[in-house]
Amino acid sequence: MNWTRRGVLAATVSVSLAGCLGDSDGIGPYEPEGGSEDVTVEPMTASPDETAVSETALPIADEQLPVSYPLETLRDAVVDGGVPQDGIPSIDDPAFEPVADVDDRFREDDPVFGVVREGEARAYPQSILVHHEIVNDEIGGESVAVTYCPLTGTAMGFERGGVEFGVSGNLVNSNLIMYDREGESMWPQMLGTAIEGPLEAASLREFPVHWNTWNDWRAAYPDSTVLTEDTGYVRDYGDDPYGMYNPVSGYYREDSDPIFEPLRSDDREPPKRMVLGARPPEGPLSIDLETLRDERLLEIEHEDATLLAVHDRSLDLGFLYRNPSEETFVLEEDRIVDENDDAYAPDDVPLERVYAYDAMWFAWTGFYPETTHFG
Amino acid sequence: MAESSTASGRWRRAVRRRIRDTSRAVGLAVGRFDALAITALVAVGYLAGYLWAANLLSVRSGLGVSVTVVDEPLVRMLERTGQLQFEPVALVDLWLVRLLVSPIDVLVGVVLAGLVGLNLALAYLALVQPRSCGIGAGAGAAASLPALLSGTACCAPVIVIALGVQVSGTVLTVLPWLLPLGVVLLLGSLVYVGGLVET
Repeated sequence: MNWTRRGVLAATVSVSLAGCLGDSDGIGPYEPEGGSEDVTVEPMTASPDETAVSETALPIADEQLPVSYPLETLRDAVVDGGVPQDGIPSIDDPAFEPVADVDDRFREDDPVFGVVREGEARAYPQSILVHHEIVNDEIGGESVAVTYCPLTGTAMGFERGGVEFGVSGNLVNSNLIMYDREGESMWPQMLGTAIEGPLEAASLREFPVHWNTWNDWRAAYPDSTVLTEDTGYVRDYGDDPYGMYNPVSGYYREDSDPIFEPLRSDDREPPKRMVLGARPPEGPLSIDLETLRDERLLEIEHEDATLLAVHDRSLDLGFLYRNPSEETFVLEEDRIVDENDDAYAPDDVPLERVYAYDAMWFAWTGFYPETTHFG
Repeated sequence: MAESSTASGRWRRAVRRRIRDTSRAVGLAVGRFDALAITALVAVGYLAGYLWAANLLSVRSGLGVSVTVVDEPLVRMLERTGQLQFEPVALVDLWLVRLLVSPIDVLVGVVLAGLVGLNLALAYLALVQPRSCGIGAGAGAAASLPALLSGTACCAPVIVIALGVQVSGTVLTVLPWLLPLGVVLLLGSLVYVGGLVET
């Protein structure tokens, strides 16, 4: 019904749908695409208030995450998403059921967000999170926030130290701005750094939340649990107001325009193309997920660093590792094999993992316009 | 000063007369079966359209029959989900129809639907017993549109999601006023068409 509702409303005001941006120019997988080197950024220079950091219950990262704009610029770019604070209600008392107990609630390719932490595996259906965006949960006895922004396609986890997060109703670069219910600092999800409030310029501790399909998840984690529709609210969880992922339509089509003007535009990829983005100290980088899916193993020279990007076929995920000794790895079947012929699962390569998350291209390059892109 | 006062008085008398004419026309509309039937039909149709556009009503197969009610509905119904939208407190499945019951949204929808229905009924009466040859149906129909486009879903206005285009800050500023604008337009249209009906 979604596309029908949207189509009828659109026709009502007789405005045609937006045109598409150009496709990728098809530059090879191992070389960064041009353009990013020419972008100059004015990174955040602000430091968090040490007293506020010492007094908050929120776990604050030891190192600030990189932010490519002065905070004032980001604050000026905040727009009202049309909903009041908590108008999109977070799930604060989530209920779960075993994977084995799920009947026909999902189709095989329906997206779920997977978290594996402290020996516990949990799936959060996209169909539920699109209506709530934040789940204040506890996994393995640790309080965490599992968050999803439908407009930027980003699913990210944050430690919360018992403090709840809520949806502010505002957006920057189309991205969800969370607020914490302790001091009401404003945290754009993709930045993981407060742009306003007592914890301004402080960064949260992040952890990976992966896009999976229901079929892949239940095959990989048959003993895990899944978030139920018993959220404390009534919503039409079969109805995504933006479109569909299975099959892809509406807002999620990769050549469709974002609703809100990005901080910066970059037409090296279609706007909603999914990329794996990371922000190591050498500078932000992004990898086209389709390319990674095809190549499955990429050795990446990024500034002074050597990185290894690996695709996990069983869960259709990308992992990024730091490879400082430039050790050679090869792909054999679904295993990553090192120079000693030792084989590893894609998510268990004995290298330092670099935190990375999936995002729509326009959102990633809007926040990190200087990104080095491997398309 | 006297001239101004006289002009002001004339204007006030004209307004009072127009309101009286409109009240009589409304009375005629609800007193005549044909006009009342038009009011009811249009109102029910508009209410369904309003709830559908606000993501509160959908049609799909295989729903069965069930009712789910949230805890503390009287508290929950007052929580805002949009500029002038409120939390649903129940989900009702009736075979092909899924309705999220948000009492305040339904109330707003009923008021709007009533105004739209009366507009169309008065336009009908203006046609069948005209004081002049003016036809007000177009004004009433046009006035019914802004409120239909005023809904918000998740983190964007419904109409913006529907159009799939980028919006400017100016447009975002205007969108919250669509519902109040719709009410004003419907009232204005009602008064205008009411004056065309021979009572």
